[in-house]
Amino acid sequence: MISAELRTEVENFLYREARFADEFSLEEWEALLTDDFHYWVPAGRLEGDPSKQLAYLNDNRARVATRIRQLQTGKRLSQLPNSPMRRVISNIEIEPRNDEGVSVVANFVIYELAAQSTGELRVWPGQAQYRLERIAGNLRMSAKWIELVTAHAGQRNLTFLI
Amino acid sequence: MRIECQELVRNDRIHGSLLHDPEIFADEMERIFVQNWVFVGHESEIKNDGDWVRRQLGNESVIMVRAESGEVNVLANRCSHRGTALCWEHNGNDSFFQCTYHNWRFGLDGSLRAVPFPDGYSKPKEELGLDRAGQVATYRGFVFANIDGSAGQIDQHLGPAGYELIDRLCEMSPSGKIDLSKGWVGHRVQSNWKLWPESDSDGYHVGFVHASMSASTDTYYDDVAVGGDAVKSSRAVDYGRGHLELDWRPSYKKELSWLGITRERVKEYCTALAERVGTERADQMLWDGPPHAFLFPNLFLGETVIAIVEPVAPGEMIHRHTAVQFDGVDDAFNERLLRQTEAAVGPASFITSDDAITAERIQAGISGTNTSWSSTGRGWIDLSRGLHREKVSDDGARSSDASDETTNRGFWYRYLDVMSGKDRH
Repeated sequence: MISAELRTEVENFLYREARFADEFSLEEWEALLTDDFHYWVPAGRLEGDPSKQLAYLNDNRARVATRIRQLQTGKRLSQLPNSPMRRVISNIEIEPRNDEGVSVVANFVIYELAAQSTGELRVWPGQAQYRLERIAGNLRMSAKWIELVTAHAGQRNLTFLI
Repeated sequence: MRIECQELVRNDRIHGSLLHDPEIFADEMERIFVQNWVFVGHESEIKNDGDWVRRQLGNESVIMVRAESGEVNVLANRCSHRGTALCWEHNGNDSFFQCTYHNWRFGLDGSLRAVPFPDGYSKPKEELGLDRAGQVATYRGFVFANIDGSAGQIDQHLGPAGYELIDRLCEMSPSGKIDLSKGWVGHRVQSNWKLWPESDSDGYHVGFVHASMSASTDTYYDDVAVGGDAVKSSRAVDYGRGHLELDWRPSYKKELSWLGITRERVKEYCTALAERVGTERADQMLWDGPPHAFLFPNLFLGETVIAIVEPVAPGEMIHRHTAVQFDGVDDAFNERLLRQTEAAVGPASFITSDDAITAERIQAGISGTNTSWSSTGRGWIDLSRGLHREKVSDDGARSSDASDETTNRGFWYRYLDVMSGKDRH
């Protein structure tokens, strides 16, 4: 059982992280990450060793920095303009760990408008698994793993922060 | 009425309607994907007897399966009774295929093995097997099929250049063997399929479409395809029959550029390669890397990435890729190839996501053009760049600066031959 206080703190973190991603607040989003952050969107279920699979996205901390840098160049065609997007997070389940960190799973749905090309409304349903750490009193994210409902089916461009 | 492609494909330009007209699309699915050779998959995907993968070849869903004899079969994914699809997973291992409608059972060679209550049939079972590809051929594990069996021999389709490009890739492996069993990742794009052979073999766009990649990370593409000097030294080559290459070899500024690493960090690989091919040849190969090539109509060899171009509808396609894995190297080396592939290709990649947007913008641009406009000046796409300076070698290959549209024209020349029924048999 976790305290109501911790639950609120974790939820606030997730909502803030989601808003930064939706609004392309890239520096603010990056500031939520630990130095060993791992970002993973497999082309199937969240199972097995990520290093041995071919994924949609499998970023270590250096590669996620490159991803953000590329978006910041102002020349990233697939995000010119940025996709108008909003996501909803729900079914949040929080597991405390021994080291003061928490593991979280939540469902999400993202609505994204492909404003760069076809104007199609794209819907991205899935589950997110987060690993949060407590560093100097604050929560930071050391892993975000995404299992898309459509993982096996192939994807449209995924050049925003999911 | 059949649309005459000659009107729409000219020496120096093509008509935009080729990229969205539904009748043309239907005709392509028949002439290119049924009546001609297409790439299906790789033998390493089906190592064991009974291993199968499902693939989409134009409108036709097929099963590529290894039979008990070891033979690779390409079967229609369609029960010969009432047409039910037999497989709906992406891959599996089975000793037979059983239809879920009336439990008809087929062997791995497509033959009908059993039906419930057989006394209701007077036809011999031999007449009720699955449709099979008329011709299947493999080369160094690459499986090609011609569904209706009416195309010429595979040798004629691949030609010396097709074989040589596959050789150049496989030879980079210390064992001479590659493995493509890490699974295929689909990138769904709202564009015509033919925009991808074009994009995959276009050397003109790299510095523009991919400027954000150059600005944010070190990439070998800066050396071989960005800026006036690079696109002068690299070559765009049309080997004929729609087989194309952007030949980066003259432009690499150091060995192992294509791997983004120095020799010290992959010593074992370099040593193993030298042991098989000799030091001198290995040194040259490590400098040259695997090819960046396109084999008509649907196979992209992108250095250490392989992709299949999969048409879905006139304005919808899937660019499906996997990472090359070398047989006979350590895990860390192959994991490096996986990470490199994720960075370069696919929906969340740093490179082809911007090609996808470009293809979608082209699709938006040409969607209003009409085949009946071909006699007017409207709706044309210009592909004349470099026509005046391309060179033709003794074997008929055309080559020019990497920024020239020699490769793009090469795709369309072959397209025109196939669509107009030239060179059948």
